[in-house]
Amino acid sequence: MNDERATVASIAAARERLAAGREGLRGRSRQQTLDSLCALLERFREPSSKLREQLEAELPGVAGFHPATVREGLVRALEGYSGDALRALVERELRGVEPAIPGGFPQTSVLLAGSIPMPSILSLLSPLLLHSPVLAKTASRDPLTARLFAASLRELDPELGRCLEVVSFPGEDDESTQAFLAAGCVLASGSDETLAAVRMRLQPATRLVAYGHRLSLAAIGPEALLEDDLAPLAERLAVDVALWDQLGCLSPVAILCECPNATGVDALASALATALAAAEERWPRGDPGDAARAEIRHAREEAEMRRAAGRDVAVLSDAGSCWTVVREEDLAWRSTPLHRFVRIHPSRDRRSLLAAIEKLAPHLAAVAVAGFGAQQSQVAEALARLGASRICAPGTLQTPPLAWHHDGQPLLLPLMRLTDLEPPL
Amino acid sequence: MKVSGADPRRARLDAEILAWMKESPFPSAPDEDRFERLAREVFRFQFEHCEPYGRFCRARGATPDSIGSWRDIPAVPTGAFKELALRSFPEALEAKTFRTSGTTAARRGELHLDTVSLYEASLMPTLRHFLFPDLAVGDRMLLRILAPAPSELPDSSLSHMFGCALAAIGSPASRFDVSAGNLQSEPLMACLEAASERLEPVALCGTAFAFVHLLEAFGSRSPLRLPLGSRVMETGGFKGRTRELSRDTLYAEIERLLGVPQNCILNQYGMTELGSQFYDSVLAEPASPRRKLGPAWTRVRIVDPETGDDAGPEAVGALVIHDLANTGSVAAILTADLGRQIDVPGREPGFEVLGREPDAEARGCSIAAELMIAT
Repeated sequence: MNDERATVASIAAARERLAAGREGLRGRSRQQTLDSLCALLERFREPSSKLREQLEAELPGVAGFHPATVREGLVRALEGYSGDALRALVERELRGVEPAIPGGFPQTSVLLAGSIPMPSILSLLSPLLLHSPVLAKTASRDPLTARLFAASLRELDPELGRCLEVVSFPGEDDESTQAFLAAGCVLASGSDETLAAVRMRLQPATRLVAYGHRLSLAAIGPEALLEDDLAPLAERLAVDVALWDQLGCLSPVAILCECPNATGVDALASALATALAAAEERWPRGDPGDAARAEIRHAREEAEMRRAAGRDVAVLSDAGSCWTVVREEDLAWRSTPLHRFVRIHPSRDRRSLLAAIEKLAPHLAAVAVAGFGAQQSQVAEALARLGASRICAPGTLQTPPLAWHHDGQPLLLPLMRLTDLEPPL
Repeated sequence: MKVSGADPRRARLDAEILAWMKESPFPSAPDEDRFERLAREVFRFQFEHCEPYGRFCRARGATPDSIGSWRDIPAVPTGAFKELALRSFPEALEAKTFRTSGTTAARRGELHLDTVSLYEASLMPTLRHFLFPDLAVGDRMLLRILAPAPSELPDSSLSHMFGCALAAIGSPASRFDVSAGNLQSEPLMACLEAASERLEPVALCGTAFAFVHLLEAFGSRSPLRLPLGSRVMETGGFKGRTRELSRDTLYAEIERLLGVPQNCILNQYGMTELGSQFYDSVLAEPASPRRKLGPAWTRVRIVDPETGDDAGPEAVGALVIHDLANTGSVAAILTADLGRQIDVPGREPGFEVLGREPDAEARGCSIAAELMIAT
């Protein structure tokens, strides 16, 4: 594995290799490429493959997650990452553009972020499906996934493997960043600040496909909260919170409950605390670092202080910092340290609940919804209008279908160059 | 000078602490007995007069009679100042409210005061000791402030502090150089150039982010060489700003463009919720390693973020500050910052604040809700 720090010269050399790799794809059918990428996806999906074993073994060390949490996260998330799912996605998106001729850019620069492998896998294979060679910059928190992807692709399909180059360099290396971003298309993931900085550096003609930081929520209706046994719902919510230590954009930071009285919300908070304690036994939280530990303590103490002031707030937590449930008094958003720290907000009515979510609308990813009975579809429509790109059941937030419209976008279309071929006069 | 509200116990406490502030802010050896006694008395008073704080302490089993030392006094997280009015005096006696900076969407922390006398009595000797150790009593110096004036931001404790400094030691050409949210770089540059020509030392004080704007204002101008004796004090961070610099980079750029050597550039660590401030030791103790020090009526604990117990020597932990200038509010504050103790043989130990690296990349793609509603 080449972990050397890239330079302007090495990036230029990689671009030349990619240009040569693209020449090698001339005349090659897109079906052949799709077959290879489907096979690669199956390797990621197969728990006993060398690729999967290596990812499971090495990701905890570089990303800070507990091995059991990585294993469970991959089992659940990659279940739907099948070759068939990829074929269906390609069929859906390419058929939609007919009769235009789809194509990719001569090169696509892919800026990876975070430490969760699935978004990186999709970001790497999408341009390749369009025969656009990829120059990928690894995330500092996950130098692994892209390099494993590249090595496995070279092994499976050397011709296509020559169309992927992986580089690493620090974000503050301006010259290398500039060289990296000099492509027809840039697919970038990261914080709003990172994306703004990328946008400023691009040539006007460069296409930017950006995936920003997002958050997810759960919205629980009165029918769920009136159940006698809230444990099953709480266990599903605990899975959503615990996997990837609540650090993914599909991790719920808050649970909003529509409930005419506080009893149901209290009961859910209590059941969720029990479920998070059990989740900690099965999938221990990773090391969050001192800063996150301090933030967790601070947020717990702040809630305790409000409780002392007579506010209707409850804090349920372990003795350390591994999990926290704060049953809030209202719908006001408060900072969330993540790392398995979740707030439960009561709402007397649906309008207030949706109004609270609306404040986060520009950053909303997914919402797990349950307990609205016959009105479930109306709630879903309201959430869609607010900008949620995925609405699903509790317990499935971390297992999006491969074809999920991440940030409300198709996967391939934003990366395509389309040619309309009109009949001669 | 108004000392405090109507409560005679409080008035006596304030008077004792004010006397300490005037008498020996920086003794050669810390007066532990005096701090212990006053900290306990302040705790007892606040426990009884600030109701939410009293209940918070009782829930932890900490009462004025049960604690073993000031180290056992429960600390209130700074976040609570965004949610609650933490007063140890009747609301009707409120004389001043300082607020943390922030957008209208985000909650702002508030420090409620019935008097600013302790606040002002604490800040001036501290500022003199750490930023102007060479300035004789009665002397004045050219101060340029990279922050708004108190008249523009009356609820900013930082502007209030700079206003006090300007009034106490600023020479006639001293002024505030931020107005309507913008750094007025042209008049400031002209002032700095003129001061350089006539070899008049300058004290430049302001927010770290305002210094970034000043450095950007240089553009293609030639670097300045501010006269010997010039100094820079920066405070605050870059949270919510589009451009962040590490402190090392900021200091290197200040040295390059203003000609102020890095051993004359210092950071002030303070916050709206506190009545006192801490400063880098570089000017007060030039021969000792850089570390943060505060006045005699403050103590800093570095605690394990999970247990709240004292972190070991050299260990990183959350900063808890006990500040007796906070008699009207709560004296023990749990900050959201990490720090580490710095021991210097034969000298008072200090601490360093460990900021988050500006380019540190998040592990995931989720983001704290508060940041989202603030942006």
